[in-house]
Amino acid sequence: MFEYMDYNIAPWGHEIVIYFFLIGAAGMTFVYAAAPVVFGNVFGGAAKSMEPFQRVGLIASLVLLAICGPLLIVDLGQPARFLYPILYFHWTSPLSWGSLFLPLFGLCIVGFYYGSIKDNQGLMRWTGILGSLLALSMPLYTGLDLMVNQTRELWSNPTIPLLFVILSMSSGTAVVAVIQLLRGQLDQRAAEFLHAFLYLSLAVTFALFLAEWVVLNYGTGEKQQAWEIINQQFAFKYWGMTFLIGILAPLVLVAIPKLGRDPKILTLAAVLSAVGAYSFREVLIYAGQLTQINF
Amino acid sequence: MPVGLQTEPSLGVPGKKRWAMVVDLRRCIGCMACVCADKAEYDVPLGVWRTTVKVKDTGHYPNTKRHFMPRLCNHCDNPPCVRNCPTQATYKHEDGFVLQRYERCISCRTCIAACPYNARHVLPKNRDRVKIGGVVDKCTFCNHRVEKGLAPACVQTCLGRSRIFGDLNDPNSEVSRLVARHKTVVLKPDKGTRPQVYYIKPDRAQTEQVFSAPQSYAARSDAQAFYQRNRGSKFFSGVL
Ligand code: SF4
Ligand code: SF4
Repeated sequence: MFEYMDYNIAPWGHEIVIYFFLIGAAGMTFVYAAAPVVFGNVFGGAAKSMEPFQRVGLIASLVLLAICGPLLIVDLGQPARFLYPILYFHWTSPLSWGSLFLPLFGLCIVGFYYGSIKDNQGLMRWTGILGSLLALSMPLYTGLDLMVNQTRELWSNPTIPLLFVILSMSSGTAVVAVIQLLRGQLDQRAAEFLHAFLYLSLAVTFALFLAEWVVLNYGTGEKQQAWEIINQQFAFKYWGMTFLIGILAPLVLVAIPKLGRDPKILTLAAVLSAVGAYSFREVLIYAGQLTQINF
Repeated sequence: MPVGLQTEPSLGVPGKKRWAMVVDLRRCIGCMACVCADKAEYDVPLGVWRTTVKVKDTGHYPNTKRHFMPRLCNHCDNPPCVRNCPTQATYKHEDGFVLQRYERCISCRTCIAACPYNARHVLPKNRDRVKIGGVVDKCTFCNHRVEKGLAPACVQTCLGRSRIFGDLNDPNSEVSRLVARHKTVVLKPDKGTRPQVYYIKPDRAQTEQVFSAPQSYAARSDAQAFYQRNRGSKFFSGVL
């Protein structure tokens, strides 16, 4: 009985995994919606292809935020104290920063929406730039939340925040592609634009997946232990859902020149990559907690 | 001086106390009296512990040995749980105790993730007598007793005198003398936490994470039950 200390069950469950996924998707959806205003004529005005997505994108990211904000609060043991990380701000804790940036991000979405209704370009530009930075900080802080645990070696790795930002690029692209396809507005220009981002995010995810493999196999005892846990308990999620379905399949789809830019195929690839983005995070979050339970 | 984001140290700082524990494993008989004393002192609910005695079987019949290892919060001199807490609900007292402000804790479990020693747990929400619940709790080195000149409950009750408590900054204290004279180890020193529970003569199977996986049949079935019960979605929802 005492060989396993029962009370140290991994503390972060599916609520946190879903939150990490949705907040990343919300952030990137906003970045896409604000892109025409923020980037304007940069890259030959490619971002302008997102103009029809602007309003609906803002609503989509607000809805995502409205789901995952309360989810995070409900996950707390003391939901009524959800403002404490701001009131008793602790600057060395990424969670405090995240709690501060989250409502500010929400405010930027609302401000941007208000600006677009009033056609106030100045307001849109400022809330767009600030909101995009805050949107990026969302997956970044969730990754940092894991990374700062220097005693959990699967997490304590500078690629984790970067990986989470990249994964949110995939899931955000999936949100945009699905919405625009359903609205019949995923034209060639928009598909071209999304294709570039999806290709980039999948390629980087692939590289980071390989990096993870190397780090865990060439790593310390705890890293090897993490690798064992991943392969024993999460083999299907890691190799099947994450690698085959979530990285390799969509990467092949977007890499085929003509096929990859076809709106329907692109949307399919984006959705697959979002599945991978979810399960990659899930495996990392759970397995990272399990390495120590028998210590 | 603390380096970077390290917590203000207490160990070796003149004018401060540095409360610490020495556990002499040669003397521990695995009676679990310390676990009971702790349960009684704090009305610790079923299913969670502030301190445990880890049992470890090694070898094969007839060459076997059963090892005992009391475990508790190490009251680290550089505690990662404190650094990562978003509300400063967990903090380090200048005399070395790492304590909880229950009225401030939001039970985000960041500190549980940060602690490399599994020393923290979540208290259930509805408790009969003690009303503190729905927050994270841990061993306090019995600071309420120590400040009144008493030994921690587990130390007082330890019938093998395996647990010894005192001020490591005082060169004449029993803990200082034990640490000076014996070969002691702390758990996971490589994690940079500067733990303040010192073990005399532990077995390698107890201190090394990778090798400390259970070996006995009973332990294996325990482990299987643990994994089956605590996979994924049931992790937290089952606790509160
Ligand atoms: S043992 Fe864990 S809970 Fe105790 S001070 Fe160290 S890190 Fe914090
Ligand atoms: S659970 Fe409580 S003590 Fe632990 S990090 Fe969160 S607020 Fe701090």
